[in-house]
Amino acid sequence: MTAATAVTAGAAATSSVSPALELRGIVKRFPGVLANDHIDLSVERGEIRALLGENGAGKTTLMRVLYGLYPPDAGEIQLAGQTQHFRSPTDAIEAGLGMVHQHFMLFPSLTVAENIVYGREPRRWGFIDRRTAARQVAALAERYGLEVDPGARVADLSVGLRQRVEILKTLYRDAQVLILDEPTAVLTPQERQGLFRVLRELAGQGKTVIFITHKLQEVMEIADRATVLRNGRVEATVRIADSSPTELCRYMVGRDVLPDPIRTPKSAGDPVLTVADLVVLDNAGRRVVDGVSFEVRAGEIVGLAGVAGNGQSELVAAIAGLRSATAGRVMLSQQDANTTSIAARRRAGLAYIPEDRNRVGLALAASVADNLIMADQRNSSRTPRLSKRGVLSRAGIERYATDLIERFDIKVASTREAVGNLSGGNRQKVVAARELAQEPIVLIAEQPTQGVDVGAAESIHRDLLAVRDAGRAVLLSSAESSEILSLCDRILVMFEGRIVGELSAEAVGADPAAEATLGLLAAGGAT
Amino acid sequence: MSRFRKGAALWGSLTAPAITAPIFAVLGALMLGALLMLATGHDPLAAYRAMLEGALGGRQLANLMATLARATPIVGMGLAIAVALRGGYLNLGGEGQLVLGGLASALVALYTPLPGWLLLPASLIAGALAGGAWALLAAGLDRWCRVPLLIGTLLLNYPARYLASYLVNHPLRDVASGMSQTHRVPEAVELPRLIAGTRLHIGALIVLALVLAAAWIVRRTRVGYELRMTGLNPSFARYGGVDTVRLGFGAMMLSGGIAGLVGAMEVLGTHHRFIDNALTGPLYAWTGLMAALLAGSSPLGVLAAGLFFAAVHTGGFGMERGAQVPRELSRVLQALMILLIAARGQLLTPRRGGSTAAAGKAGAT
Repeated sequence: MTAATAVTAGAAATSSVSPALELRGIVKRFPGVLANDHIDLSVERGEIRALLGENGAGKTTLMRVLYGLYPPDAGEIQLAGQTQHFRSPTDAIEAGLGMVHQHFMLFPSLTVAENIVYGREPRRWGFIDRRTAARQVAALAERYGLEVDPGARVADLSVGLRQRVEILKTLYRDAQVLILDEPTAVLTPQERQGLFRVLRELAGQGKTVIFITHKLQEVMEIADRATVLRNGRVEATVRIADSSPTELCRYMVGRDVLPDPIRTPKSAGDPVLTVADLVVLDNAGRRVVDGVSFEVRAGEIVGLAGVAGNGQSELVAAIAGLRSATAGRVMLSQQDANTTSIAARRRAGLAYIPEDRNRVGLALAASVADNLIMADQRNSSRTPRLSKRGVLSRAGIERYATDLIERFDIKVASTREAVGNLSGGNRQKVVAARELAQEPIVLIAEQPTQGVDVGAAESIHRDLLAVRDAGRAVLLSSAESSEILSLCDRILVMFEGRIVGELSAEAVGADPAAEATLGLLAAGGAT
Repeated sequence: MSRFRKGAALWGSLTAPAITAPIFAVLGALMLGALLMLATGHDPLAAYRAMLEGALGGRQLANLMATLARATPIVGMGLAIAVALRGGYLNLGGEGQLVLGGLASALVALYTPLPGWLLLPASLIAGALAGGAWALLAAGLDRWCRVPLLIGTLLLNYPARYLASYLVNHPLRDVASGMSQTHRVPEAVELPRLIAGTRLHIGALIVLALVLAAAWIVRRTRVGYELRMTGLNPSFARYGGVDTVRLGFGAMMLSGGIAGLVGAMEVLGTHHRFIDNALTGPLYAWTGLMAALLAGSSPLGVLAAGLFFAAVHTGGFGMERGAQVPRELSRVLQALMILLIAARGQLLTPRRGGSTAAAGKAGAT
């Protein structure tokens, strides 16, 4: 801590002008939670600052206070030495702040230029002057090296390009301080490099960048300094050149993190999940899964890699029975599962950790206990104590829920607490605990550590390996290539609805450029 | 667990917003009503005293019995709406289901050659089946013809009401009575009165039993659990293996069935014949809907809310008699209460993060 303080003081001493952004003693309280506890943060002009922290550390709250979404209970915000009182994001934007949200706020049916100038359109005779708008946007893109076609419709753009549009939107409004909330979560490795180039360019031209993330590697790569939050306080501010991922991680978690568990070589058994020539249409009728075939055998983890939106979600939904397949077959333990209901697939040993835990995997308003017994309330053969002839056993449910909370180390006040009150990591643990407790023959894990802090991700990875080592099968769909590379026995890469490549763990282990190969395949390049 | 902790838990549950919010809403409505009466030149204290007397007093508690008799169909209809709403299905067709249930029971009572002892249960069952079938029709329109349940249930009220009107005005009319009504049902089919000389019949106990049964089913059974989860998040329930389509049909059938049964009990217990507009005029279905919304679709809450609305209704008659306050005023009061209840989230809790909605207004890509 002393070293960290020294760094801040040193940085302040070297610059005679006011920092681009300064927060002093920010306090934000929610009922029962002190989300921000006297946070001080000072960011220089032209600096790229990483804001690190586990879920619930207070990053999001701090950024919302900064962006005018929450009024702080105490503390002061200064931009370039001027004290600010933001009452809405409009005030914050006016003062030169720009936020790129995790979920993009764009109109898909409008063009790039229209999205960028929206709310501040150049006008001519009272009408929107499209030509000037396009010219301004092109000039802006040119100046910061953000190539994008101003006339293209946003709906036709890739995720990486949409993100550029978001960044341009803030620049168009003359933002001096850009806040990016987990900007790399949806990008391919190549797109990520492109984003980093842009951020360096922006910093070089005097803009200030605040980069919120979970990923330590990215912090090491892009940031000048990192501020780590824990339990609502600033744990440390460090210069990246003098730090290491291990140190940052220790500040985040408050202890040393165990190394990734070792995946012991193991020979796989019989195929327990077979997918043959599967075709799935999306809601608009496009063939988003276009004749996919593969098997997952007992005792192996098969990874499904690829950039989001290449059919993985629909493929997984079709296997789980949430979406119907137009052609092809899904077999569980060599039994045809095509025509069977979701309940029947679950009885046949399928469990599923869905991508969207808040909208699919949980009922946020319901209690932890109610969320933990879903799918088991009917399965009286396996958990006879939860219900008897259709009547729920309160004591049995309480015992079962308490047991799972303990086994999976879920942090809750009681089994009756609403799941919506939990942090993202604990919500995911509720989903994982429920699905793993089924002792599935096949477990589908979809983005199981997305938006989950390091500690929770670590325990979910261990759980997935334990399922595999118990001789059961896992299909892991993840956009996180490091997760795929460290856990999987085999990796299938999806691109535009097809499987375009398969890599084995042995091949990957021997290849230091494995991640690049994966990224190339995922982007549609040939091996 | 010590007695103290039990007491603290009880106190905690009594001061929870779910309990206190309706009380504040009612108090607020009474105050607004007082202002309204002052403005129209009535004495609010005398009016409220007359209202209390009219709702709960009377010689040998006659007014209380009238309140309970009126509460029977209101609570019954509230329960009908609540069982579907618990699963997220908004049944706005209570009125049509109620009318068809009453009509079917009258037809069976009048025109089937069943022995007397069988006729009463057969009439009640016919009522429930008719209401249930009408609700199922709306569910089917939603499932197969893409008519939203909200619209289907609402629109099906009209054919049901006017079909019944037509039948009792023309082919089935008791011409001798000079009124738009059927003949009187045989005495053997009449539901017994609980207390002689009042309109309170055994249907009140049936409704009470249904409320208790529904409360138990929702809280303590597997199907109740699945209904609750479907109401909170249908995607989650489906993902967990709940057959939400079947559950939806079941919930709607039960909802319509209860509504039909309520209609049958009113016909066989109160009027002893099907009278045109007797079930729709007092707005039982809509008052029941309000009770279900006010109670957050909890069966026991519906019981409390339904009793309260019935008391406001009969109290309104008392106000009219005792303090010369127009009866319409009690309707105004009732509407004010539901309005305040609906606004409780905003009125009683400080707003926090009010602009988060603004952050999400642009279409996410």
